[in-house]
Amino acid sequence: MNISETQAGSITIVAITGTLDASTTKELLKSPAISNPAQSVVMDLEHLDFLDSSGLGALIGTLRKKRERSAETLISCMNDRVRRVFEITNAHRIFHIFDDTAAAVDYATQLTARI
Amino acid sequence: MNRIITLTLPGELIFARFASETAAKAALLLINSCDGGADDWKFTHAFELAVSEAFTNTVSYAQKPASPQPVTIDFIFEKQCLTVTIRDTNPPFSIETPAPDIESYPERGYGLLLMRTVMDTVTCARENGTNIISMSKQLNP
Repeated sequence: MNISETQAGSITIVAITGTLDASTTKELLKSPAISNPAQSVVMDLEHLDFLDSSGLGALIGTLRKKRERSAETLISCMNDRVRRVFEITNAHRIFHIFDDTAAAVDYATQLTARI
Repeated sequence: MNRIITLTLPGELIFARFASETAAKAALLLINSCDGGADDWKFTHAFELAVSEAFTNTVSYAQKPASPQPVTIDFIFEKQCLTVTIRDTNPPFSIETPAPDIESYPERGYGLLLMRTVMDTVTCARENGTNIISMSKQLNP
């Protein structure tokens, strides 16, 4: 797995490449924007090839911790394989999900400006 | 006669991806031998996901023995069906968990839900000191 962080105004875009499963979640949780609960992020999953329940759990934990600090975790650019995991578990009901990262950043910026 | 591929891996988390990628390749092998179908990606992804969940459960959520025990995976090819069995000699464990309530943001407990949703059958048994998870799916049900 590879993680890159890019700043877009007050929002950090976290792009994940490769696999997010039990063997890689610790690495994600250690990344600066994810480990800072007050930092709103857009998770760009365009190049995430595989997600299992351990990876999903890490994303849900990130969402919960950030919402406790009035920050947001948005998702963009899921492929069909990743979307299938979100839909089976109903995780798509608790995340804001976008097909486009720029649109997700705009929405996250609006959300955080309201707080 | 069924064809069987047997894979034995160390019972360590770093081998979960190897197991799941191999499962996807086994599913693709069945598809190619049957001329495939429109939803091929769902069939290969089902095995990739289910084996990732089962292997991870086996090596990380079971009671830990003094040293990791190997995990043996059988891929059993029938005419239009692929069955995967995952066997280990770790202490007994159960994969039976209630489906999590997403509204309370649980971080665990989705594995069995995913396995049962993407596969046709999932069973878990303990026989002669061995845990056995068995999962099957028909290519064109």
